[in-house]
Amino acid sequence: MAVSLAALPRGHQFPPATFTLAPDWVRDYVAAVDDTAIVSVGDGLVPPMALAALCIRALLERAALPAGAVHLGQELSFHRPVSVGERLAARAAVISRGERQGWVLMGVELAVDDASGEVVMEGRATVTFPSDGSDP
Amino acid sequence: MKQQIATLKPGRRLPAVSKTLTQEQIDRYAVVSGDGNPLHTDRRFAATTRFGGTVAHGMLVLAYLSEMLTRAFGEAWLRSGRLKVRFRAPARPGDTVTASGTVVQSGDGRVRCEVQCANVRGEVLISGEAEVEG
Repeated sequence: MAVSLAALPRGHQFPPATFTLAPDWVRDYVAAVDDTAIVSVGDGLVPPMALAALCIRALLERAALPAGAVHLGQELSFHRPVSVGERLAARAAVISRGERQGWVLMGVELAVDDASGEVVMEGRATVTFPSDGSDP
Repeated sequence: MKQQIATLKPGRRLPAVSKTLTQEQIDRYAVVSGDGNPLHTDRRFAATTRFGGTVAHGMLVLAYLSEMLTRAFGEAWLRSGRLKVRFRAPARPGDTVTASGTVVQSGDGRVRCEVQCANVRGEVLISGEAEVEG
């Protein structure tokens, strides 16, 4: 069972997660977000936000969101178009953690590398959650 | 517009993208993203929270913004896009969300835009900046 994100200290590094951008998953993602633009860019390309979604999915498989968690902010940089079928690896680390007035503010660095080790997407998520685990 | 990134002038509005959120869509996103937080999918549970009902995943709404930027900048967005946003308010089933952007700076082959997602009541759900290389 995944630990809670609330239990993780600054500096915690998640084990890398590798995944393949399976056609079925990409199709389901495109349908879920109703993206009608990506097909006009090129055949077999993946919406860049799908990389972020997969990276966060890998993170959530390793650390559950605490009750009352709120996604406050997101930074993302995309470095090249990614295609269906590519093999990728997601990395994540807790890079900041502070507490104020009963709320924890946590920064999580995210990155996705391709099969040759080149970064194709990187970014940072900022989340907050009650420090006592309650859901106000 | 895709061929004209380097020539876009400040004040130029990017073509907006509007979509109406449904609970079914939120449920689908929960499955595909692996984020099964009941705040998004369980009406009964969500009604007991401070949100008073289910809300969409922030990353789902952010995908609308990325689609708007894909329409505006094409492959350049996938190759060099940068996005920095804050999630300011939740989007709910039934909300029509409009993703929009305005060029605020251009030069040296890069364009910087202010971007946002808002609902029909004028509430800003997401705001921030996007940058792309031409």
